[in-house]
Amino acid sequence: MPKVKRSRKPPPEGWELIEPTLDELDQKMREAEQDPHEGKRKVEALWPIFRIHHQRSRYIYDLFYKRKAISRELYEYCLKEGIADKNLIAKWKKSGYENLCCLRCIQTRDTNFQTKCICRVPKTKLEEGKVVECVICGCRGCSG
Amino acid sequence: MATSKTANTYNRQNWEDAEFPILCQTCLGDNPYLRMMKEKYGRECKICARPFTIFRWCPGARMRFKKTEVCQTCAKMKNICQTCLLDLEYGLPVQVRDHALGLKDEMPKSDVNKEYYTQNAERELANTDSSNPGGSLGKANTPNDLLLKLARTAPYYKRNRPHICSFWVKGECKRGEECPYRHEMPTDPNDPLADQNIKDRFYGVNDPVASKLLDRASKLPSLEPPPDKAITTLYVGGLDGRVLEQDLRDHFYQFGEIRSITMVPKQQCAFVCFTNRFSAETAAENSFNKLIMKGRRLKILWGKSQGAKATPGREGGAKLTPVPGLPEALPPPPASKPEENNFFNLASTSGIPLPPLPMPPPQPLMGAPPMHGQPPLMPPRLPPPPGQRGPYPPGGRGPYPPPPHRFMPPPPFMRGPPPNNIPPPNLPPPNMPPPNMPRGPPPNRGAPPTIHYPSQDPHRMGTGGKEQGLNPPTQPGATS
Repeated sequence: MPKVKRSRKPPPEGWELIEPTLDELDQKMREAEQDPHEGKRKVEALWPIFRIHHQRSRYIYDLFYKRKAISRELYEYCLKEGIADKNLIAKWKKSGYENLCCLRCIQTRDTNFQTKCICRVPKTKLEEGKVVECVICGCRGCSG
Repeated sequence: MATSKTANTYNRQNWEDAEFPILCQTCLGDNPYLRMMKEKYGRECKICARPFTIFRWCPGARMRFKKTEVCQTCAKMKNICQTCLLDLEYGLPVQVRDHALGLKDEMPKSDVNKEYYTQNAERELANTDSSNPGGSLGKANTPNDLLLKLARTAPYYKRNRPHICSFWVKGECKRGEECPYRHEMPTDPNDPLADQNIKDRFYGVNDPVASKLLDRASKLPSLEPPPDKAITTLYVGGLDGRVLEQDLRDHFYQFGEIRSITMVPKQQCAFVCFTNRFSAETAAENSFNKLIMKGRRLKILWGKSQGAKATPGREGGAKLTPVPGLPEALPPPPASKPEENNFFNLASTSGIPLPPLPMPPPQPLMGAPPMHGQPPLMPPRLPPPPGQRGPYPPGGRGPYPPPPHRFMPPPPFMRGPPPNNIPPPNLPPPNMPPPNMPRGPPPNRGAPPTIHYPSQDPHRMGTGGKEQGLNPPTQPGATS
C-alpha cells in the first residue's frame, strides 16, 4: 500500500466497492508489521508480510481477470498505486505459475545450485509424505 | 597465524586450497549423484586452526547436511575422514586403530609447536605419494586381526541422520511435521558415549567410542577347536547366492588341501572339509570373524561330526550299500596288441580286410594329440594313439606286456567295451576290484547308473586322462 498518495486524480469508478476489503488487508498488513519477533525463527519474521502481499494482489487479479468485476481503469489504477504487484500478476498469467507464492521463490540466483525454491516442486515429484515449508515465504507448495 | 581473509596475507600460502575432499563412504551417503558446495578458506580447521577449503553436501534423503571439519593435512596425517574423523580404511576411531597397530603418535598440542609440526608434516606429505597415509601410520601399515574384526563391512548411514530437536526434548517444538530435526529422546546423559569431542577423537585420547570398541574386542568370542581330532570340517554360514563354491575353495585352499566342499544353498551355508586337522585349525583361526566375502562377513564354526556332514559316497562319508544293477567291472581293453585291434581301420593300406572290431568309446579327453582324428593317412606301423598306450617304439619287435604297475588303477575311460568278453592274457585281471566292493571309485561304464556319483562324472576325470596324454613314453616317434 502506498504511503503517500501519488496522484491527485480521483480514483476511477468502482473504487468504493473494493475499498473496504483493501482497507481491511491494509490493516492486517499493519498488524503483521507491528508483530513482535519473539518466539519466531529468523526466517519466519517476513512470512506474514509475504502472505498478505500475495493476498492483496490476488484479490485485484481475481476481480479483473477471473470475475471481471472491475474496469480496466480501476485495475490499472491499482497497479499504478502499488496496491497490486504487477510483476507477480505477470507471472500468474504464465502456465505453471498460476499459484506462485512470491517472486523470491523463483529467483534462481538466490540458491546454491541455481534452482528454484522447494515450494515450486510439484507434490507428485516430492517424496511421499514430505512436508515442505519454504524458508523464504513459508509457502507449503505452490505448484500443482 | 593470519586467519582473516582480507586483512593479512602473511603466511597465506599455508592456507589450504583443495579441489576434492577426503571422505569416507558413510559420510558421502548412499546417493552416487551428489552435489557439493565448496568454499575456499571457509572455516578454520578444528585441529590446526588454519583456514581450509570446506565442502558441504547432503548425504541422501532425510539426512542432515554435512561439511568437512578438519583440513586435509590433518586428515592425511592420521588417515581419517575429514568429516567424521574415523579411519578411512577401517571406519574405526583413531584410538582403536593406533592401539591395534601399536602406533604412538606424539602430536604437539600447544599453538606454536602445532604450527611447526603441521608445517613439517605438510612438507613431508608433499614429497610422498598422496595415495598413502602419512605420519607414523604410513610406516606401520599392516593388516591387523583386531582391526579386521572390529571394522565395519558396510557403510553406516544412520550416522548421517539429523540431530535431535532440542526444542522437542524440552517439549516446546512448535514446528511439528515440518521440523527437520529428529523428534526422539536423546540417550542417557550419564552414558559415557554422550560426551565426545572432536579433539579427543583426533588425537586418540579419552575417546569413549574407542574404549567401548576395545572393550568389545576383549570380549570377542574365539573359536575353540573341538577335542575330537577326527573333525576336519568347518561350517561356513551366512552365505548368500553370490558366494560360489569356487570362492570358498579359493579362500580355503591357502590353508591346506581340501577334501570336499559341500554347499547347502537352502541353509545358506557350506561345509569345507580339509584333509588334515592342522589345515582345518589354521583355517578356522585365520577365518573366524574375519572372513569377508562379497561384502558379507561369513560365520565360521567347527563341523559337528565328520560322518554326518561329509558327502555320501566319499571316504569318510556315510556307508553305502552296493548299488544293484551296475554292470560288472570289465577288464581293461587289450591295448597292447595293435595288430589285433586295428583301431585306425588300416585295411585300405594293407589290403587285408580286418574283422570289424568295436572302436573304443569316444574319449572326452582334450589331451589327445591331433593325430587321433586322421587315421587313414598313417603308415600301418604307427603306434596307437596315446590314449591307447602302446608303450613300444614303432617298428619294434612285438607287443611287450607293459609293466603291470602302470595298470594298477586302470584309467576309467579306457574301459570301453572290449572286443570280446575274454580278458587279454597279458593283463592281470585281479587288479580289478570285485564288482560289489565299495572300495575305490566305482567303474564308469556304458550303463548309466541310477544314482549320480560325482566320482563317476566324466567331467571330473581329467586328471587320470591328462597323465595319460602327457606321458612321454606313450607316444614315442609320433613325429618321426
